[in-house]
Amino acid sequence: MSHSSDSPALVGTRWVELGLTVFTALIGVVVMFGSVEQGIGWGDSGPEPGYFPFYIGLMLSAASVANGVLTLVRWHALSIAFVSRSAFKQVLSVFIPIALFVGAMPFTGIYVASACFIAWFMWRDKVRAKPYGKLMIGSVSLGAVLASYLIFALWFKVPLDAGPMGDWIALAGRNFK
Amino acid sequence: MSEFDSLLQGMNLILTPGHIGLMVIGVLLGILVGVLPGLGAPNGVALLLPLTFTMSPVSAIILLSCMYWGALFGGSITSILFNIPGEPSSVATTFDGYPMAREGRAAEALTAAFSSALIGALAGVLLLTFLSTKIAAFAMSFSSPEFFAVYLLAFCTFIGMSKNPPLKTVVAMMIGFAMAAVGMDTVSGNLRLTFDQPILMTGISFEVAVIGLFGIGEILCTVEEGLVFRGEHARITPMVILRTWAKLPRYWWTIVRSTLVGCWMGITPGGPTAASFMSYSLARRFSKNRENFGKGELEGVIAPETADHAAGTSALLPMLTLGIPGSATAAVMLGGLMIWGLHPGPTLFVEQHDFVWGLIASMYLGNVVSLIVVLATVPLFASILRIPFSIIAPIIIMVCAIGAYSVHNSFFDVVLMLGFGALGYLFKKLGYPIAPLVLAAVLGDKAEDAFRQSMLFSDGHLGIFWSNPLVGSLTTAALLMLFWPLISKGLSSLMGLRKPHVAKTKSVL
Repeated sequence: MSHSSDSPALVGTRWVELGLTVFTALIGVVVMFGSVEQGIGWGDSGPEPGYFPFYIGLMLSAASVANGVLTLVRWHALSIAFVSRSAFKQVLSVFIPIALFVGAMPFTGIYVASACFIAWFMWRDKVRAKPYGKLMIGSVSLGAVLASYLIFALWFKVPLDAGPMGDWIALAGRNFK
Repeated sequence: MSEFDSLLQGMNLILTPGHIGLMVIGVLLGILVGVLPGLGAPNGVALLLPLTFTMSPVSAIILLSCMYWGALFGGSITSILFNIPGEPSSVATTFDGYPMAREGRAAEALTAAFSSALIGALAGVLLLTFLSTKIAAFAMSFSSPEFFAVYLLAFCTFIGMSKNPPLKTVVAMMIGFAMAAVGMDTVSGNLRLTFDQPILMTGISFEVAVIGLFGIGEILCTVEEGLVFRGEHARITPMVILRTWAKLPRYWWTIVRSTLVGCWMGITPGGPTAASFMSYSLARRFSKNRENFGKGELEGVIAPETADHAAGTSALLPMLTLGIPGSATAAVMLGGLMIWGLHPGPTLFVEQHDFVWGLIASMYLGNVVSLIVVLATVPLFASILRIPFSIIAPIIIMVCAIGAYSVHNSFFDVVLMLGFGALGYLFKKLGYPIAPLVLAAVLGDKAEDAFRQSMLFSDGHLGIFWSNPLVGSLTTAALLMLFWPLISKGLSSLMGLRKPHVAKTKSVL
């Protein structure tokens, strides 16, 4: 998307604005393309499957292009910074861990990934005068994971993928019996 | 009165310890999501949806709707004590609520907010009780063109009335429609827009979008602003409650006016946020203590709160009778109804009599329960906000991830949630509205079905949307709403009228 995190200068609102309109216009094009694949005309049984989505895609692209034009018209007014560099660093310092958390989930299972995520988040918090103790970090992260197990898996019967850890525990449980 | 009988029947149905317990749980969870940054009513309801699949529809809707009421109440707590609106609809409450708290009148502000909210909500439910059967009966005569015209009216109102730029609203809405189109086509059974990716076959769930856009997006915005919670303390004693209640009758006219504004904005898809702002600016204009507004005026708390809750509850009227939600949260609930196998719309009142009246009865009771629970738990929830962000944030993100995962038990949905989170952050920063996206994602398939059937009737001529007076006036009204910004500009320049208060509310946003 339109994050230009690699650029050294602060990114102007206009660039982000323009980037997003390009992105939404592209979605529109993809939708139109997919609709044409399905047929956008009038079949034997009335409108073909792509009939409605095609116009959705068309309107999406058209509105995006119009937004892009509006951005260009207001180009000078939109030169203000989209986000200050320190603020964006803050955002990335949360977004990247979330992305890692999400990426790790299929391999480690939800519980392990969540516990590590919470623990890391707390450990990293250096803004506080006093960092969290190991005991505090451990109990909060494990407690949150345990609570989610109790609420989701046990009470509401929504199974959460426990990953290999879950398999080991299940195996150990079976051997123990 | 048949409505009265049905209502009693509904009361009978829900007055069981189990259902009352669910109400209390729903309200507590609602206040929690209302208070926590990054979680709001639409999000909370979306997170809770997968958990309700094993319940009976009546219990499930009681839980979800009470969560909605709780979230509306919870939003006012953070607005008044922390100057942080927990919900967009409680932004207007901060204007006078926080100054009151600074003066040490937090308890008074909170009591007034909750009590006027209850009045607004009850007015909304009364409207629902006595109007819904009539609207449903009227809508029974609707066929596909009328339904599409009603959908069109809802969507056009969003575009024309939104405080966001109209073209950005269109973009957000069309992305929602495109999302709804992914997956199996309901008419032909073809797979659309999946590009041969098996992962896309089940489509993109609106719950995942809601969790990502509202939850992760909100967290990212919060982080960027570097929010620090520094709140005022409040202790609500029975004496303060009684004293505040004694003051309320003085503001009866503000309450009546705010209720009317709220009900109107709730039924039309203006939503609670617009209602609370409008009601606040009206109150300021007509108040005797105009110059005290923004410095801690009780009336400035009462007006937005009444309208907010009146709009929140009356948003359920079009949702139940026509299948059109008046707010983002109502849209998520509507999606829930469809997942439970219920079909919102006029037939719901005939086929699911118990469900509808159970819900309406629960709204009376649920709001009263909310008031009691919220008055009792303010200190508890205020202390939750004092937990450091570095503990609260990862837990919220974990809950969001689990919520997204549990929709289809798929990790792909969690990745989608992350993508929607990034999109939500950009949307919020650039002034794209999120509610129309959610509304379109939920209603997309139904709107498309109605449109395609209408086209079948007419062999592809758009003239069918003007084929009888009813559908014609609906369609025309929709177009009027769509071009309303242009029309109103034209009218005001024609009459040389300037509306300063409109400009003021906008600058406040």
